[in-house]
Amino acid sequence: MNDTSAGVDPKLLEILVCPVSKEPLRYDAENQELISDKAKLAYPIRDGIPIMLPDEARTLDND
Amino acid sequence: MAETTPNGAKAEIGPFDRVQLRRRRDRAAANFNAHSFLLDEVSLRLTERLDDIKRSFPLAVDLGCHDGRLARHLSGRSGIKRLVQCDISRALVSEAKGPYRVVADEEWLPFAGERLDLIISALSLHWVNDLPGALIQIRRALRPDGLFLAAMLGGDSLTELRQALVRGESELQGGISPRIAPFVEIRDLGALLQRAGFALPVVDSDTITVTYPDALALMRDLRGMGENNILRARQRHFTRRSTLFTAAEHYREMFGDVEGRIPATFQVLYLAGWSPHASQQQALKPGSGEMNLAEALNGET
Repeated sequence: MNDTSAGVDPKLLEILVCPVSKEPLRYDAENQELISDKAKLAYPIRDGIPIMLPDEARTLDND
Repeated sequence: MAETTPNGAKAEIGPFDRVQLRRRRDRAAANFNAHSFLLDEVSLRLTERLDDIKRSFPLAVDLGCHDGRLARHLSGRSGIKRLVQCDISRALVSEAKGPYRVVADEEWLPFAGERLDLIISALSLHWVNDLPGALIQIRRALRPDGLFLAAMLGGDSLTELRQALVRGESELQGGISPRIAPFVEIRDLGALLQRAGFALPVVDSDTITVTYPDALALMRDLRGMGENNILRARQRHFTRRSTLFTAAEHYREMFGDVEGRIPATFQVLYLAGWSPHASQQQALKPGSGEMNLAEALNGET
């Protein structure tokens, strides 16, 4: 999974926020996800393309 | 057609089924090239409009980029250094070339506030349920004095097809069902832009007429564009083939030319608005005049 991490440009990550909370995202390079701590959602990155759709995001557990 | 997403993020309301839209666009992606005439034409016209604005827009977003067609027209123009291409369809975004690609929904913009110099959109916003909400999100993502420029299909689009389908259905099925999207009307758009907080809003339209061998070819082309009907209220069962054939006959009878081809009219609405900035021209506040009107009329000062 790590081999695609080079695909997302940091300049793109700079301007992306969580579409639900509009809060900044945390980039999880290992799992290729953009994490919204506030909305408790993890948006997948597939082939270097962030999928910023609320209904495609993984819901995070509370811990 | 779940009313809530798995995350409970939002109950979908409005006439358009966005999940269905995504599927249709995904499906259209592989062979999009064969059906991109309208988008190509609109992209060209939109680019020319942008050329008329003597400004540079280093950081831009193409909202609803389809297969990256608009980007090809934009490349090297208007001082765009970075163009973020986004679409609700992952398959279409994957077709686009460029370093900055995102799958995003116009109703759920994933962009930080006041960062973008330009948001440009070709033939995508007419599928948005909450247009006022989308416009507010767009305005907030723009830097002060940033530009929003878009083209979308308007209410006078596909009037011929509507009429033909109405005739075909009432003849064969004894009733009609909503079939073509309730497009937005031009007269509403200026007010919507203003309410969303845009300065200097401008709305206008033009008409593009495309001819086809017959109505079935038109419907195939609409499907190829991913623009076929995604009405939530659509019939559950498929339209009977007989209805389509009858509609196609009515279409030819009512609108066909001497060579037997049929025209399809697309009304394209153009929207432009600026994120407010102190340098822009603005109306004076009522009561802020320093000259007495009576004096002015009497020529006395």
